[in-house]
Amino acid sequence: MTIKLTFFAIVFGTLIGLFVALAKISSIKILRWIGGLYTWIIRGIPLLLHLMFLYYGLPFVGIVLPEYTVGIIGLSVCGGAYIAEIIRAGILSIDKGQMEAAISMGMSYSQAMRRVILPQAYRRLLPPMGNEFITLMKDSALVSVITMTELLRAATLKNATFFKPVESFVTAGILYLIMTTVFTTIFNRLEKRLAISDGD
Amino acid sequence: MVKAQNVQKNFGKLKVLKGINLDVKQGEVVVIIGPSGSGKSTFLRCINHLESIDGGMVIFEDKKVPAKGKELCELRSQIGMVFQRFNLFPHMTAIQNVMEGPITVLGKCKHDSRDLAEELLAKVGLADKAKNFPSQLSGGQQQRVAIARALAMKPKLMLFDEPTSALDPELVGEVLSVIRNLAAEGMTMIIVTHEMGFARDVADRVIFMDEGKIVEMGAPEQIFSTPRHPRTREFLSSILRGYEKMTYPEVG
Repeated sequence: MTIKLTFFAIVFGTLIGLFVALAKISSIKILRWIGGLYTWIIRGIPLLLHLMFLYYGLPFVGIVLPEYTVGIIGLSVCGGAYIAEIIRAGILSIDKGQMEAAISMGMSYSQAMRRVILPQAYRRLLPPMGNEFITLMKDSALVSVITMTELLRAATLKNATFFKPVESFVTAGILYLIMTTVFTTIFNRLEKRLAISDGD
Repeated sequence: MVKAQNVQKNFGKLKVLKGINLDVKQGEVVVIIGPSGSGKSTFLRCINHLESIDGGMVIFEDKKVPAKGKELCELRSQIGMVFQRFNLFPHMTAIQNVMEGPITVLGKCKHDSRDLAEELLAKVGLADKAKNFPSQLSGGQQQRVAIARALAMKPKLMLFDEPTSALDPELVGEVLSVIRNLAAEGMTMIIVTHEMGFARDVADRVIFMDEGKIVEMGAPEQIFSTPRHPRTREFLSSILRGYEKMTYPEVG
């Protein structure tokens, strides 16, 4: 469950993050404003509160969502805000001359983004993104408060049944470590591969 | 072919261009010289609206260059630009850089674009560097790839923004000779440069700019031998003095 949750949170979070980042650097004022508002609100409120609001609060206004959906929405919306900042910083770190060269050839803004800016940005994004994905994986533990049985809650339940806190929590900890290790390894490989294909 | 009418540009309160008028004919090579901060690069960047203009207009082939939109992209695709700092795309090889415009902007197929790119790289003397990434090329080579990249769009006009200013002195020659060849082929060009010898050789017309205005304009012999305006004289003699300072000690 933790893996599934993390996977969807990463996919949706990255999508949200990309759009919010593009909105924030757009030349259209209203888009910039919406993007700013999004990151301001989401980053400014604890994820735990988001989840509780979505799960326990929304039913009072007539919206009842299954815990699984709430978990995915909560994690990806929250992750999206952080990822947006990472992507924005990545795009802004690309030399201005790159955009100029692209549009002076006759490319539109979106062509320049797709062909020139984003492919360069995404190489620089990998390290902070890897970091963010690991954070998301660990944050997925928070969904236990909305009665989802992910890794942490599974451990808690085990402990409640057999009263073996050391064994239960150490096992959960080791499982988290294994997952993050796998993740880190994948990202390190990716980074190395991209560095080679970059030619530098 | 390209006309600037009373082009004005401000950076905040600073008036960088105070009404520039210029008419460049088909096949003409215009070289703009002037001290740094005179607005010559800014003017060049205004021609393809890389820099938005605050007054006046630019007319390219009897069409007003629009402020934005699809039409602007289309006009830009017909105007090649070469930058001081090359601005090659670092994630693409030399040949991919040259193919990028024809494929993405003109929608040509990969095969034709590759043929064209190979031809152009050969033209700038880099046929053997096609598979190298920009980071594996010298500054002079990068700039020649950048010229090939601009030529791949089959531009009607080429803009050069101090194409040799970021190069080590020994690499300047190879880039200038590529530009000279283009001039000989009859390419219409506007070149901003500090290379006075090159300006004298290649230009049909030399423009001296200072403080956001065109101070003097004329045939290269006239500007370099008998400049009319005192500002031009002062600028040219200060540059010549600079050369003397550089060369004399080495002789001794």
